Amino acid sequence: MLTVLLVDDDPEFTDVACTIIEFLGHEVLTAANLAEARDWLNKETFDHVLLDFMLPDGSGAHLFDELDALPKRPRVTLITGHPSVKGIIKGLCGPNIDYLVKPIQREEIEAVLSGKKEQKKDKSGPKIKRHFGHLIGESTPMKELYKLIERVSRTSANVMLLGESGVGKEVVAAAIHAASDVEGPYIATNCGAFSKELIGSELFGHEKGAFTGAVGRKAGVFEQSENGTLFLDEITEMPIDMQPNLLRVLENKVVIRVGGTKTIPVSCRVVSATNRSMEEIAESKVLREDIYFRLAVFPITIPPLRDRKEDIPLLAMYFIEELNKENGTQFEWDQTQLDTLKAYDWPGNVRELRHFVHRAAIMSDPDTSDLELPKTIESPFAKKQSTTPALQAGRTIEDVEKELIYATLEKVNGNKTLAAEMLGISTKTLYNRLHAYGDLNKEE
Amino acid sequence: MTESELTLLSKHVHDARKPLNRISMQAELVKMALNGDVPTERAVEALDKIIASTKACSDSLTTMMTELSDSQPE
Repeated sequence: MLTVLLVDDDPEFTDVACTIIEFLGHEVLTAANLAEARDWLNKETFDHVLLDFMLPDGSGAHLFDELDALPKRPRVTLITGHPSVKGIIKGLCGPNIDYLVKPIQREEIEAVLSGKKEQKKDKSGPKIKRHFGHLIGESTPMKELYKLIERVSRTSANVMLLGESGVGKEVVAAAIHAASDVEGPYIATNCGAFSKELIGSELFGHEKGAFTGAVGRKAGVFEQSENGTLFLDEITEMPIDMQPNLLRVLENKVVIRVGGTKTIPVSCRVVSATNRSMEEIAESKVLREDIYFRLAVFPITIPPLRDRKEDIPLLAMYFIEELNKENGTQFEWDQTQLDTLKAYDWPGNVRELRHFVHRAAIMSDPDTSDLELPKTIESPFAKKQSTTPALQAGRTIEDVEKELIYATLEKVNGNKTLAAEMLGISTKTLYNRLHAYGDLNKEE
Repeated sequence: MTESELTLLSKHVHDARKPLNRISMQAELVKMALNGDVPTERAVEALDKIIASTKACSDSLTTMMTELSDSQPE
């Protein structure tokens, strides 16, 4: 138990603060101004003084000398209404002083009295919201996406998901399933993963003895996802001669197992996905037109990560939290690292980001909370995408300059003197640029 | 913004912060009452005070607006 002196001129505040401090098991006395505080300090010994910075008869700082002169100097916590005063106080009284900034929370009072510098705010940190239980992101493109999901979830329309590789099409499919609130299960299959012979059996099932090796009866994915959601990934990779069979199922809403005769009713929403664009689908004839219209009743394009950069820190924090949970580590991002991640284009989208975070976590010392980032973020797929559109109209000089600088640095293995020479600029200019990109955080 | 306007503004911000601080503390008290740490009547009292403080805060913002626009040169 501590004896606490609370000095503040707002009686309503001191009244409630006393209730809280007493509840925490301490004894508390109050003073409304410096004179009263001096009075108490002469009569009693205190373990801790909570001191308002602005009092009617002067600044709380005036009390410091008297506190120093006491035989047992109490710990002091300054209370201030101005966050900006914090810095000044630190300069005045050294780092050994705690302060509370109004409005004050109970946990903060608890933390200063128990002597813990700063209580970790909620063990797991700020909770990252997962929309529909799956999707992370608060950017405008994602909010749009949530709206579309919400709308389509109320219908039974078939959805086609379009988007680059790694944007999370399967995650969106699962989100649609979750939002739909249907009784049936969520079944996912990849149309590109089966040979021509096997895909029929995968989709529609087969009867015993339908073909060599068909030792038992098997229900296809259409059957399995009864009253649920069927996710057909890489729909454009499905052999074109299998597509009429699929069309029949979609049109008639019945399926016949391979080698069977009985029709089985189909009652699922089909969510299909492709990483090709709509134009590409139309041009390359990988998908029959009639199938496209059956599947893409409601097409949804998922934005690439570079179009929602403000979500990158959220995702990075979420991934590191997951890894921390899995491995019992305490890794935390610092702001400059998050800025570095935000500056990169992520051609491999969220998948690339996740792998990158995973790799960083493996490379870092598990006994510390610091994450170590590789010097450059690169993937073998990055170059293909970044070099082709390099000199197209619509890009800013700044963008192209940045790309050139990084390409040069890569070429000379990060040797900045050499890179500056090749670029025809001074090393100082190069450092300035890299600073501006947020790439130099240490004293390099 | 002139020096005197800034001084005036910071005075009013200080005044507006006082009720905010009260609200935050009273809210903590309500939380404690819901946990059964203090009697329920305290929660009702605290909520009344929160309402009073929101009015006080709103009033001081109004005063600030009036005084700032009065100080504007015509």
